[in-house]
Amino acid sequence: MKITWLSFAIVAILFIIVVESVRRGVLETKYSLLWIVTCIIMAFLSISDNLLNTVAGWLNVYYPPSLLFLFGLLFALLIIFDLTRRVSKLNKEMTQLTQDYTILKEELEKRKRQEL
Amino acid sequence: MKTLDSYKVLIVVPAYNEEAAIKQTLNKLLNIKKHLPFVDICVVNDGSKDRTADIVRSFEEVILLDLPINLGIGGAVQSGYKYAAKYHYDIAVQFDADGQHNEEDLMTVIKPIINGECDMCIGSRFVKQTDYSGSPFRRMGIYYFEFLLFLLTRKKYTDATSGYRAINQKVIQLFAEEYPRDYPEPEVILFLHRKKLNIKEISVNMKERQGGSSSITPFKSVYYMFKVTLSILMQKLIKE
Repeated sequence: MKITWLSFAIVAILFIIVVESVRRGVLETKYSLLWIVTCIIMAFLSISDNLLNTVAGWLNVYYPPSLLFLFGLLFALLIIFDLTRRVSKLNKEMTQLTQDYTILKEELEKRKRQEL
Repeated sequence: MKTLDSYKVLIVVPAYNEEAAIKQTLNKLLNIKKHLPFVDICVVNDGSKDRTADIVRSFEEVILLDLPINLGIGGAVQSGYKYAAKYHYDIAVQFDADGQHNEEDLMTVIKPIINGECDMCIGSRFVKQTDYSGSPFRRMGIYYFEFLLFLLTRKKYTDATSGYRAINQKVIQLFAEEYPRDYPEPEVILFLHRKKLNIKEISVNMKERQGGSSSITPFKSVYYMFKVTLSILMQKLIKE
């Protein structure tokens, strides 16, 4: 089996998993965008020898299928970076929520004490 | 001019697993409160796994902010500042739970704020010769920050990592909105410097910790230096 076909098969399975996850509500639509774009581009690169060869020609790559690794890796990096940013944002929101919750809890306890 | 008594001062005591020292610290602070009735004490329990919160709860005069999750020193102190902002305190003082800080120096760090000499006043161990002597490694770290901050601000901060500091209302508002998360003390100096606010150091006495253990283990200290250096440099890069 050619590596391009293997690559296509993996990307196709990934695509199905992504779409299925969105359908079941496990993955939010906005987060699926980057994955779907990745799948589509990788699928095109894998299936079309012409496209792969042309791009390899532009970039002076002697063995075109190695481009698949390059793009795969770049997308993985992109998605990881996107994730780290989202985690940072979540972290900030979690901190804020915890602090506000704690201050409100203190207020509630103070009120309870006053009523007693 | 406002009289001293008309000021509202909040002492913020961040505490993480401090059951060994917190009682003594609170007793000392409550003793001081007898002479300075305008002072309120607020302990921020940063998700301790020991009896810290229960001990604090037994002190009725003390405000307890009981964080359900450990947020780290930055998040904990900021909770105190948020409380101070919400209840319109004029001054907030950060005070360590482990007994290192001297409660008798409280007025020393508050006075420059009341007199309007600065926006933040840091209690420093090294402005004058005091009894304090940390490990050589620790002192090296402190010299390193002094040097780094001097390079970036052209001002001398002899004790950038000191957690004994008082801030005025303007800075309380600022910190309630934005405060660095882990090991924030040196970073905050650059943050305020960037906002063109005045920072003053004043000599205080500090003791060795009275119980519990430092959040900075030798193992973590290399990471600490690296992380703080990076965040200080990042502060320099941030554009208004």
